[in-house]
Amino acid sequence: MAAALPNISPDLIWEVVRTNNSYLHKTGAARNGGVQFSRDPLNLKNVHSRKYAGFVNDKAVGVLPNEKGGVVLVTKKPAAVTQPSKSVAKTTIGGGKSTRKTYKAVASQVAKTGYRPDLRAAAVERASAIRHSQLPVKADPEPKLRGKKAKAAAAGES
Amino acid sequence: MVAAKKHVPIVKKHKTRFARHQSDRFDRVGESWRKPKGIDGRVRRRFRGTIRMPKIGYGSNKKTRFLTPSGHKAFLVHNVKDLELLLMHNRTHAAEIASAVSSRKRIDIISRAKQIGVKVTNAKAKVTTEV
Repeated sequence: MAAALPNISPDLIWEVVRTNNSYLHKTGAARNGGVQFSRDPLNLKNVHSRKYAGFVNDKAVGVLPNEKGGVVLVTKKPAAVTQPSKSVAKTTIGGGKSTRKTYKAVASQVAKTGYRPDLRAAAVERASAIRHSQLPVKADPEPKLRGKKAKAAAAGES
Repeated sequence: MVAAKKHVPIVKKHKTRFARHQSDRFDRVGESWRKPKGIDGRVRRRFRGTIRMPKIGYGSNKKTRFLTPSGHKAFLVHNVKDLELLLMHNRTHAAEIASAVSSRKRIDIISRAKQIGVKVTNAKAKVTTEV
């Protein structure tokens, strides 16, 4: 934690915001078992948990889609966590790069430097999901007609 | 759309709803379950040939509870921002568009769902028109 707030640890913040915070998205227990997701941009899995809560931890990783294709890797600077505007470092990994090189770049920045080695797999997964979402969408196949409609179509052709 | 994660087979131990005793005989007796409490009640005493009463043993396996036949859990979605939560969960959760969402916004949600590979359980609702 920064010098300005020496007594506030991430653990304490988590205890305070665990039950309710602006990123938290709760669902009804009767509907799907009450799953809790998080909208936090620094949350790699979108799950509400201590490990992935980016706004709580001093070191956190986010992978966001880049507007021109590719991904933006966001990391938090432990020295400036109390200054939100300065606290994140952004690295753009463009869409022109191959996916394997993207994963390599993400993994090395997240884990190899000892920043958050526990988030390596999650960061790569998210980068992969984002890259996949940037692919052109395939059109739906034409529905095969059955029964009366098929007969009518066949009659119309001949 | 991505197929759901592999899961243990879904077993439903009792497929029909439990209807209240004698709700089939009287219009004034509704179908919602009420446990028989009478001193002589044959359903309460579990006589042969009487209806079954609900009990905890009929509950689903915890691993398959809330699962749809496709193997997803439904997650209620009101807008594209809600949908983005499922980016990393498209193998376990499917989006279900809330009933009050207009057809114009449904189109946005459905097209984004296709991009991020999320199944939408009610993708045809309000969007398709009868020919």
